[in-house]
Amino acid sequence: MTAVALSRSRPAPVLRIEIRRSVVLWAVPLLLALFYFDSFRTAAGFPPVWTVRSSVITSHMVADFGPFAAGLAAWVASREGRRKTDDLLATTVRPAWARQASALGATLFWLLLTFLAGVAAIYIDTARQATWGGPPLWPVAVGVVGVVTFAVIGFTAGALFPGRFTAPLAAIGTFLLAEIGFHAALQVVPGGSTYALLSTATAVPLGDDGVFYRVAPDLSIVQVMFMGGITVALLGLLTLAPFFRVAYRGLLAGVSRTGRWLCVAGVALLAAGVTAAATAFALAGTAQLAVSGWAIPALHDSASDQPVPYTPDCAGTSFKVCVHPAFSGFLGGANAALQPVAAEIAGLPGAPVRAEQVPSGEGVRAAQGLVLPGLRRAGLSGTPPVYNYTSDNGLAPFFGSPEGTDNAGWRAGFQQVFLTAFIAGQPHVSPGRDAAVLPPNAAQQAVITALMTAVGSPAPVFGEDTTNGQPTAGATPTQIAAAAQRFASLSSAARHAWLAAHLPALRAGRVTLAQLP
Amino acid sequence: MNIELYDVTRRFGRNVAVDGVTLDAGPGVLGLLGPNGAGKTSLLRMLATILPPSSGRLALLGRDPAKPADRREIRRRLGYLPQQLGYYPSFTVVEFVEYFALLKEVPPHLVPKAVAAAVEKVDLGPKARAKLRTLSGGMLRRVGIAQAIVNEPELLLFDEPTAGLDPEQRVAFRALIRDLGQTATVVVSTHLVEDVGAACTEVALMSNGRVVFRGTPEELIARGEAGQGVGDAPLERGYSAILAAARAAS
Repeated sequence: MTAVALSRSRPAPVLRIEIRRSVVLWAVPLLLALFYFDSFRTAAGFPPVWTVRSSVITSHMVADFGPFAAGLAAWVASREGRRKTDDLLATTVRPAWARQASALGATLFWLLLTFLAGVAAIYIDTARQATWGGPPLWPVAVGVVGVVTFAVIGFTAGALFPGRFTAPLAAIGTFLLAEIGFHAALQVVPGGSTYALLSTATAVPLGDDGVFYRVAPDLSIVQVMFMGGITVALLGLLTLAPFFRVAYRGLLAGVSRTGRWLCVAGVALLAAGVTAAATAFALAGTAQLAVSGWAIPALHDSASDQPVPYTPDCAGTSFKVCVHPAFSGFLGGANAALQPVAAEIAGLPGAPVRAEQVPSGEGVRAAQGLVLPGLRRAGLSGTPPVYNYTSDNGLAPFFGSPEGTDNAGWRAGFQQVFLTAFIAGQPHVSPGRDAAVLPPNAAQQAVITALMTAVGSPAPVFGEDTTNGQPTAGATPTQIAAAAQRFASLSSAARHAWLAAHLPALRAGRVTLAQLP
Repeated sequence: MNIELYDVTRRFGRNVAVDGVTLDAGPGVLGLLGPNGAGKTSLLRMLATILPPSSGRLALLGRDPAKPADRREIRRRLGYLPQQLGYYPSFTVVEFVEYFALLKEVPPHLVPKAVAAAVEKVDLGPKARAKLRTLSGGMLRRVGIAQAIVNEPELLLFDEPTAGLDPEQRVAFRALIRDLGQTATVVVSTHLVEDVGAACTEVALMSNGRVVFRGTPEELIARGEAGQGVGDAPLERGYSAILAAARAAS
């Protein structure tokens, strides 16, 4: 018998076996269930806007997949130690790093395949409903790098500390890390520490993120750089680990030339990874809130701060209701909601001739103490007057899809905000440090309620705010409801005539409940 | 000579596991006998290039395993079955053997044939697609033998290969190693002297890290008949006689 002809072989067949027998396959159904009940349903609850729905990829999917990726990778990496195959494998030709690369490759193959299947499910669902724009790729890149980073963290732990408890500890550890990052990310405010933006977690996005202004890729670039840096550094550490053991035994002289090159490569990877992660960390500290989201001055392209041109979709004749084309699906519902109440106030002084969607970021950012030029405010403005509404105070506050506009509660809410802007003007803000938006006064509430009742909508709810034990609005809800009923019982012409005569006083808050007819 | 050891010693801290062993072996089957703790497994692990010797000179297949390029070449032509076979339960028999064939860098286009031949040689053809977790201890042992021989090695090292095999399988295994020993150097470390008698062309008996006997099975039997050995079989009597003499000398 002679030895079979031996030659250097490619790693693909080993990878094929690893892929076929990967332990991740057992976890795929669990990952898919978790994806459906958390990520997919969350995305489906958002408006069908590409940038909004894709935010789930980084904020939910990475957190769902990460701990599993870390635990499973740790389990795979610790296999040789747990299964006592070290001796047997030590007598084979292929070096340990090549075996580990195949095992890690197979783990990542299934993890990323499942992850990308989830991304595809979200994007296909969005594509069926979206009316504007296209699928963004940066969230996918951040998500993929995030899952890879979690897996490499777990794999490194498993390879360096093989044992049956390494995998659960890696999963729990990365879960806690993700939670800490999530809570830290939610507390980031402009002017404060912004390092937590390195976490892929984000707060619930605005309903029109990326619609009026492009989402700047600055933060995604920094996140990819940070997580990619950690991954590369850990791969360098994994490459160097065998050399630490060899050096400890005083056997460095026995390392081959290839081994020495590997050692150099390991040091280079470690250095490059640490440098990238440290640079990303420093860049995250310089983040500033801009009209296009978080901007990193060193990476920011000011072109992202320019509005994205669009032609609104409109409906109606004398009173036009317009939406951004990304919200075309909501146009029918918005038009059906606003036309009846617009007809009730048509011809009155200052009555809007048009309702138009504006970016919703202004209110949120103003609350954070930022004034961003270029953003139109919600409410009535211009001559002739135009009612500016936002997606979060009109179109899609609670209902992610246009089907939600069939809901009577949604319609009433939209009408209430419209009429409040017309009857009560700009919301009153209480003075002082803890400024708050005040509701309309009692007479204004009664008129709004009467106008909504007149078009067949349910009576609006204004809340029962009190100041020093007295109703802030100046009357109890029962008194307001009685006055509203009285005003609604008038003929349409009588209501219109009274409003034409008293609207300035009503807006100024000088009309009392008793003065209502 | 495929194995050349000159004054090889292996220490673990203060404990000397292998103590100045000088040994050589060419094609054939060498039985490595000895009581527990005699140093058989440590010697075998050095021959398998897992452990470097603490001192002495070791050459395998005419190469120096301390040199990386030589070590690589030795491992291409090496088969090893450890005392405790580690395995991956989710792998099938074929996948496990294929995995090791690939790690031993058998060219991929030759792997299917080599795997099939190795699996057939250990009579596991009907179980080729079975997951390792479903196999009995004896079958797993045969899987271990299959992975050791899949690259048609020139140096084969078996540590307690017949442990867990039933009598019929043990007979078949002895026939297999006799066949392998026609061209390769096969080292079989075992407690079972009947394995030695049936399959080995030479015997080395270890005690306290040293080789205290080297010869043919017939010479071992002769030592038993001449000395004060105890046991039911002639080989056992030779084995115990030599060990008794070694203990008395130390």
